Amino acid sequence: MEKGFIENGFIINLSNSKNTNQLVYELSNIMEHPDVRGKRVCLKLGNIDLKQSQLLSIKALIEATDAGIAFIDTTSEQTEASAASLGIMISKMSDEMQSDSIIPSAPEGEPVVVKEELVTEEVPVSEPEESDSVAEKVVEPYAETEPASDLTGLINTTEGVEDTYTEASEHELSEIIPSERFENEFERLAASEGLISNEEISKYILLDTGEVLPQGAEEHSTDTKGLPTLYLSQTLRSGQTVTYEGNILIIGDAHPGSEIIAEGDITVWGILGGIAHAGYKGNINSKVRALKLNAIQLRIAGLYARRNDTLNVPYVQKTNEFIPEEAQIEDGKIVIYKKLRRD
Amino acid sequence: MAGRVIVITSGKGGVGKTTTSANIGTALAKEGYKVVLIDTDLGLRNLDLLLGLENRIVYTIVDVIEERCKLKQALVKDKKNPNLSLLAAAQTRDKSAVNAEQLKEICDKLKEKNDFVLVDCPAGIEQGFQNAIAGASEAIVVTTPEMSAIRDADRIIGLLNTKEEITSTRLLLNRVRPNLIKNNEMMSVDDVVGILEIPLLGIIPEDTGIITSTNKGEPIVNDEHSLAGQAYRNIAKRTLGEEVPFLDLDEPKGIVAKIKNVFAKLKAKV
Repeated sequence: MEKGFIENGFIINLSNSKNTNQLVYELSNIMEHPDVRGKRVCLKLGNIDLKQSQLLSIKALIEATDAGIAFIDTTSEQTEASAASLGIMISKMSDEMQSDSIIPSAPEGEPVVVKEELVTEEVPVSEPEESDSVAEKVVEPYAETEPASDLTGLINTTEGVEDTYTEASEHELSEIIPSERFENEFERLAASEGLISNEEISKYILLDTGEVLPQGAEEHSTDTKGLPTLYLSQTLRSGQTVTYEGNILIIGDAHPGSEIIAEGDITVWGILGGIAHAGYKGNINSKVRALKLNAIQLRIAGLYARRNDTLNVPYVQKTNEFIPEEAQIEDGKIVIYKKLRRD
Repeated sequence: MAGRVIVITSGKGGVGKTTTSANIGTALAKEGYKVVLIDTDLGLRNLDLLLGLENRIVYTIVDVIEERCKLKQALVKDKKNPNLSLLAAAQTRDKSAVNAEQLKEICDKLKEKNDFVLVDCPAGIEQGFQNAIAGASEAIVVTTPEMSAIRDADRIIGLLNTKEEITSTRLLLNRVRPNLIKNNEMMSVDDVVGILEIPLLGIIPEDTGIITSTNKGEPIVNDEHSLAGQAYRNIAKRTLGEEVPFLDLDEPKGIVAKIKNVFAKLKAKV
């Protein structure tokens, strides 16, 4: 990974990364550097194939530090297509052609080669026969607000795709993008009108701590639907703890410094800013949901993840528009999904 | 090796104990010493925020005392400096969760493997204070040049003097504003030292950079250009026994004068 300077931004060369995990890991390290704040970033991505959702995560990571993507350089067609559909500019840069000409200081500059056609070509608007049945299956669970478990079951069957995440354990990175498996389903969902879809986002890094479950607790997977639910309508403030042998539903915000500990799911109808521990007795099936997941730490069963340092903003601006988020365990990692509504 | 256990205390709240702990700790770690910071402000912890480590805390000092984890597990390593670690206070408990003996035991254990153990004391003179000073052999009293802060510092020094284990008590004068002193609107450094009659460890000028550094979770000693950061680095060196002259706080005045000078010259040209 090398960093180059250009006039009003950075070139970040990630083309040596072997896989997505490594790429995001290196990028997040660079983004922690204070100099990157507010800069325009040019990403050299090499030949790594990035799905739309993966590229979106990367974009979010960069934008979290007030920086923005100026353009990307890639040799992968897939990445190109993803970038095109996200409106990210693509440019080819050779090592000789440097600085001035690259950064489009004049708006929508010439060197940008955005292939419009690719959008329509690559995004599978409809995959004839299969799509219907899959869409049905996927959509149904959403109506019951119990999406991921069924979805996972469904998608696991398509798992045979080679696993590119084996190197993940090498880094402290936890959460990034196993969504190759989800990709087609997303695209299909996106294609069919007005459906709610998942968009995976990455902002948490796994903490390496030992056993954190209460003594004698064992990892298990139980449906949280059957558990009783504690209903609270209040703001949780710093220093306040709610513990319940069941699900917890909070109508209000949970401020930084508060703790919510549940045997089952945790749902916050508001901003979750404190610590949330779902399934604290070892239920890996538990989930944490909030209108805005800004928890300092997310804990599900025996897994602990801390918020990325670049996102260490304790208080979130309140707006009228939140995109609900949901965290769950997947392949031994805590993964967060944004519940997007695609129109 | 047996490290030094230093308690940072003040009596009054809001004079900069926690900021001082974070900055001296970071400065000492930067000098290559192994440092542990202990936050004893149970229920109102802040030290983790100043260091930007809040998202890494899993176990706290109460977990250690109630034997839910090992001491080593509860130490949170600093992001930048592996020499520095933090033993965080519990946010959801209060001061009664810990007693003086337990804290002394933790300090004793920590000083075996570290050069410095800095204990950030809560405000007040009740149990929290008694806990914090239990394991310490040295104290730094933080105060500002205000009557109320000095009154409380005086009380604290009196309490520290009755404790035989504490062999050295030194003064850190925080938030000093040279221009106010010049206009006789603020007590001077000499006045304060005259009242409290303990050796002066350092003077920190008022610096708005402290606010941004606190919000960012980045101690100001890491900022090479900040005057307050320089003052804290000097304090760390004095703690190590080096003789460092006190900062000339009139310096900024000099710059203003210089600018005025430039303007005067420009006028002359016109």
